[in-house]
Amino acid sequence: MRPFSYQRVDSVSAAVQAGRIDANGHLDAPVQFLAGGTTLLDLMKLDVMRPQRIVDINPLETSLSDIAVESGDVRLGALARMSDVADHPAIRKDFPVIAQSLKLAASAQLRNMASLGGNVLQRTRCTYFRDVSWASCNKRIPGSGCAALEGVNRKHAVLGTSENCIATYPGDFAQALLALDATVDIAGVQGDRTIAFRDLHVKPGETPHVETTLLPGEIITAFRIAGEPWMKRSLYLKIRDRESYEFAIASAAVALDLQDGIVRQVRIAIGGMATVPWRSEEAEAVLTGKPLDEERARQAAQAAFAAARGRGENAFKPELGRETLVRALLEAATLEF
Amino acid sequence: MTISESQVGPISEGGMFGKPVPRIDGRLKVTGAACYPSDTPMEDTAHAYLVTSAIARGKIKAFHLEDAKAVDGVLDILTWENMKGKVRSVRFFAGGGYASSTIMPMSSSKIWHAGQIIAVVIAESFEAAREAAYKVGVDYAVNKPKAGFDESRPQPRPMTNPLTRSDPATGDAEKAFAAAPVKIEAYYSTPTQHHNAIELFSTTCVWSGDQLTIYEPSQYVHGLKNGVARQLGIKPDKVRIISPFVGGGFGGKAALTARTAFIALAAQRLNRPVKLVATRKQAYTVSNFRAETQHLIKLGAESNGQLTSLSHEGWEVSSRPDEYKVAGTETTAVLYACPNIATRVNVIHADRSTPGFMRSPAEVPYIFAIESAMDELAVALHMDPVELRRINDTQINPITDAPYSSRALMTCYDTAAKAFGWASRNPVPGSMTDGDWLIGWGCATSCYPTNVAPAEAKVTLAPNGSVRVQSAGHDIGTGAYTALAITAAEFLGVPLERVSVELGDSTLPPAPVAGGSNATASICNAVADACKELRHRLVTAAVASNGPMHGLDRDMITFSDGQLRAPDGQSETLMAASARLGFGPIEAHAKYMPEIASKTIKLVGNAMLGKGLPIMASGTSAGDHIQYAFGAEFVEVRVHRRTREIRAPRIVGAFAAGRIISPTTARSQLMGGLIWGISAALHEATEMDHRFARYVNDDLAEYMVPVNADIQDVEVIFVPEDDTKVNALGIKGLGELGNVGTNAAVANAVYHATGQRIRDLPIRLENLL
Amino acid sequence: MDASSPLKSSPPENLRDRCQTLDLVLQVNGRSRRVVADPRVTLLDALRENLGLTGSKKGCDHGQCGACTVHVDGRRVLSCLTFAAAAEGKHITTIEGLAPQEGDLHPMQQAFMDHDAFQCGYCTPGQIMSAVACVTEGHAETDADIREYMSGNLCRCAAYPNIVDAIKQAKPLMRERDA
Ligand SMILES: Cc1cc2nc3c(=O)[nH]c(=O)nc-3n(C[C@H](O)[C@H](O)[C@H](O)COP(=O)(O)OP(=O)(O)OC[C@H]3O[C@@H](n4cnc5c(N)ncnc54)[C@H](O)[C@@H]3O)c2cc1C
Ligand code: SF4
Ligand code: FES
Ligand code: FES
Repeated sequence: MRPFSYQRVDSVSAAVQAGRIDANGHLDAPVQFLAGGTTLLDLMKLDVMRPQRIVDINPLETSLSDIAVESGDVRLGALARMSDVADHPAIRKDFPVIAQSLKLAASAQLRNMASLGGNVLQRTRCTYFRDVSWASCNKRIPGSGCAALEGVNRKHAVLGTSENCIATYPGDFAQALLALDATVDIAGVQGDRTIAFRDLHVKPGETPHVETTLLPGEIITAFRIAGEPWMKRSLYLKIRDRESYEFAIASAAVALDLQDGIVRQVRIAIGGMATVPWRSEEAEAVLTGKPLDEERARQAAQAAFAAARGRGENAFKPELGRETLVRALLEAATLEF
Repeated sequence: MTISESQVGPISEGGMFGKPVPRIDGRLKVTGAACYPSDTPMEDTAHAYLVTSAIARGKIKAFHLEDAKAVDGVLDILTWENMKGKVRSVRFFAGGGYASSTIMPMSSSKIWHAGQIIAVVIAESFEAAREAAYKVGVDYAVNKPKAGFDESRPQPRPMTNPLTRSDPATGDAEKAFAAAPVKIEAYYSTPTQHHNAIELFSTTCVWSGDQLTIYEPSQYVHGLKNGVARQLGIKPDKVRIISPFVGGGFGGKAALTARTAFIALAAQRLNRPVKLVATRKQAYTVSNFRAETQHLIKLGAESNGQLTSLSHEGWEVSSRPDEYKVAGTETTAVLYACPNIATRVNVIHADRSTPGFMRSPAEVPYIFAIESAMDELAVALHMDPVELRRINDTQINPITDAPYSSRALMTCYDTAAKAFGWASRNPVPGSMTDGDWLIGWGCATSCYPTNVAPAEAKVTLAPNGSVRVQSAGHDIGTGAYTALAITAAEFLGVPLERVSVELGDSTLPPAPVAGGSNATASICNAVADACKELRHRLVTAAVASNGPMHGLDRDMITFSDGQLRAPDGQSETLMAASARLGFGPIEAHAKYMPEIASKTIKLVGNAMLGKGLPIMASGTSAGDHIQYAFGAEFVEVRVHRRTREIRAPRIVGAFAAGRIISPTTARSQLMGGLIWGISAALHEATEMDHRFARYVNDDLAEYMVPVNADIQDVEVIFVPEDDTKVNALGIKGLGELGNVGTNAAVANAVYHATGQRIRDLPIRLENLL
Repeated sequence: MDASSPLKSSPPENLRDRCQTLDLVLQVNGRSRRVVADPRVTLLDALRENLGLTGSKKGCDHGQCGACTVHVDGRRVLSCLTFAAAAEGKHITTIEGLAPQEGDLHPMQQAFMDHDAFQCGYCTPGQIMSAVACVTEGHAETDADIREYMSGNLCRCAAYPNIVDAIKQAKPLMRERDA
């Protein structure tokens, strides 16, 4: 861990001012916000992140940690902790995909610490990225190559990859946000803005080191969901080697508007498989307006992974992803309230 | 969970053997007061941080230390350039020496394996040392490394030349295999694994004049002491190792690693204490590990199930310079009755660190192979796998005809099968389901040789009647503190609260390595001998002419409730009795020599023990007999019909392991072993980037071990067993017994659930898609 | 946040400047303890190296094992991923603060002893701190819940079933005590 100066701020504008600095991308900026610290300290100890200034935004908790469900709409403050959101009765009841994606993530201790804002900005678990003694990692050192392409890549992505990076986006909550078409409130020096959550992350393409559309100094203040009663029929299915405390090998977030056996609307997001939180409109299109049965679920899963590309150890992932999605869809269809 | 106490008749009057009592060191552990070596309070400590090699094979061309030295608070940086020739080489542990590897990091610019220590940075703070370590620049000359096995299966080699090979063999296995009506022939493999004890590898060194004190978690303080002394060229009595608590060992803390001498030298150069807590990542290369193995098994049987041919060829990986192998064919060759047996073990050298002991070193990979093959044979024969074991059960070593001292394998099977409900199993694969989950039931044999080592112990009876037990043994979680206290309480007839035990300090009487499941047997016998000696002296005084029991038959005097008791009801407290022996404490120092020790061990055993050299009488060749503990393990797995994740919610093991001294801790050991077995079967593997011969999942988020939610019902059953051939107390040892059969039991259950036979561990969902 | 905290003032404009030295006061186990340290010091290292509270263990230093679990303002957190500076002004409880040094153990500590819920004992302080929180959070209502909510504490000795039994024993006793 490199030396840095530590500073607390007690207003969003102070945070934005403190974070205002020239840099290529938000996540590699020399000024980093400290929320739960569970990504930041981890990567600083590994010498992967080397901020020179840490701006502790936890004093903003009083204003940025609300969990509000009002007239069906949801507002989740960026500093709300994963555990509090996961345990929130209204969220559990009306937006189960949110509660489940958080409850199935990390551990009780980490969820007590980690904030929602930090969660969506967590970094990949690619070993070549996390260990600075590996020479090739385009995400860490642009232009250095990608050791994972021909390396150990069982957990790497099969969707949204490029020849420059196949690192999996590791989080769970982001898929739930996609499945509920959430938006993100952002404060910055240029003022506040709101974007669709799906526009927050960017695929690696030619520039794997750029992971989000946030500008340096911008701070996420909240996530919002325009609630619908049918979002009760939503779930998060997470597949992993062990029963808990592990990132997804595959996951599916499904929100389903099912009436008389016919799919009126469905939103599908896939985790553990893609370089970014992955929404599958292809799969949604197969289902919309149709009855949901095993056959149809399979077709949707085929569509979701039509573009999937495995290489080496992760060649099994498209099939696992399909099975995961089929299972999630059928389980969602049979949910009873 | 149930626990049936093992009661095999009293050995003394204390009534303590076999009684479930709480761990005597429990309070220290639940309050955070137990002082593990890195917890030792110390003034003015400097902190060390290791720099390890990013390449597996080649040379260091140059260091760039300017940036590192410029870090505020950096005190010293050790590299081969200033360490060359400072540390003498010592012999390899497995070759009768001290070192876990003969690779001597920082003795030259040569790199033998990735993760090799190439520099040690010492600074005022941990933070500064870590920062500087990351700033150490290294130019390497890189050669292409060999990572381990090639991609293709190894080719079998000729096995049968008993004259030139020491591998166990009898008859003509090849011919019998050719003639057998039912055959199984298959390759199996197990992956690289690491101990991953939760405690990190730490070393703190403090010099006081020419006296060096080392705080380091150790499974063998006498080995560490003598080994470091030799490396540093100082007298062993100038070195003291303190390691009263060890946060898990599993074999990783048994032999001397390279780090210790460097920390000692750093402390000497700076003339202040230096503390190293190696990182979790570094734990994968600074000590040893379980190397990957491959196996080719051929079984031939009559159609009634009787084995006619068994051959087992194993391949193991070792480092370039060290020939380390576990060679579990010693056990697989004697497991079942069979007239024709052939075995062979091959070692492949690669650019890796030297492997070593990891919980049940030899048995775990080799029993996985043979017990999977036995299950395949049962399937081929349409026979219940338990019945196949029964048909081939033996009470003698099929090669030498030497008897097992005792072998209750089939009792274990029958007991465990009953507890598990095996009788209701439908043998057809995939036939048992629960909703979307396929259920599979499998079983396998567990066994572990009963090894016993020379050991010393001192027992002191204080004037106030309290008892102090001292031995340089180790409690690495095994319950040694408790078992030794129970032993003293048993023989001296004192309440357990009156007994204190000191372990893990090289100034105490030497005891063997905590490994090979020998420690309880060896040290309890030493403690018993010391207690018997104290009894003798107390009784002698009591029946002497001036004693209260004058004229009574000394053999009739017993010890219980803190009293000497005569058959006529007369009694005297231990306090009073010891007072008559003189003022102050009375003590006895016993040197236990295993009953089964060979002539050579009897001759040199005590001297070797004192020098911290590995010395152990093996259960695989105990003179006129062989001695093993046995068990039978039954597992239920569940595999999801669609997504194929595998869970093991239920496991039952029944074990016959001789006398159980401390059932509470013994049960925990076996339970831990069973869970280790599930872990190895379904979770654990250290993965390697073969292009670079480097580990890639070297942390606890990526190296999978089970979490609480993976484990549900674990049942441990003790099968009573009385066997005083193994040693006077009839203790067989069980720290390594639990996880031996589990790998195969899980794989066999997975087959039963899915019809898919997975022969390469770990079994993961992608194998079943 | 304490408005008078020196940390609120801006750090030097030149970001390449050396680390600050922080003069912190931590509330640990009901006592105010002063820690003078580099901002890089984690709460775990501050407890262990600066304050001599070595009950909290380091098993990974990266949030992967749970051995360093402590309570901050009553919530279980990982002290290895917490900066000491960020814990200023909060109430920190470690295993040493769970029960008075002499005398009765906390019901959870006693339960761990009664059920042999450990072997080597290295994960134990973290397990116990986690277990206490597991009960107070209300996540110890079923065996399945206990197992899930205790999954952030690895035990390589694999005492898991005994840990579950211990929590079941301690839960009603803790409730009685708190009632
Ligand atoms: C062992 C382990 C297991 C884990 N398992 C899982 C898992 O299974 N599933 C899962 O989803 N996650 C998992 N995680 C990741 C964990 O959830 C994230 O580390 C956590 O959510 C990050 O949140 P934080 O508040 O701690 O972020 P921090 O570490 O504080 O911040 C992370 C990054 O985001 C920036 N940042 C934080 N807040 C804001 C904001 N409001 N606006 C702008 N920038 C901000 C920071 O500057 C920093 O760059 C695991 C982590 C660990 C260590
Ligand atoms: S996959 Fe991405 S993060 Fe991993 S090595 Fe390649 S470029 Fe780096
Ligand atoms: S040391 Fe903090 S989680 Fe492992
Ligand atoms: S008791 Fe040893 S790690 Fe849990």
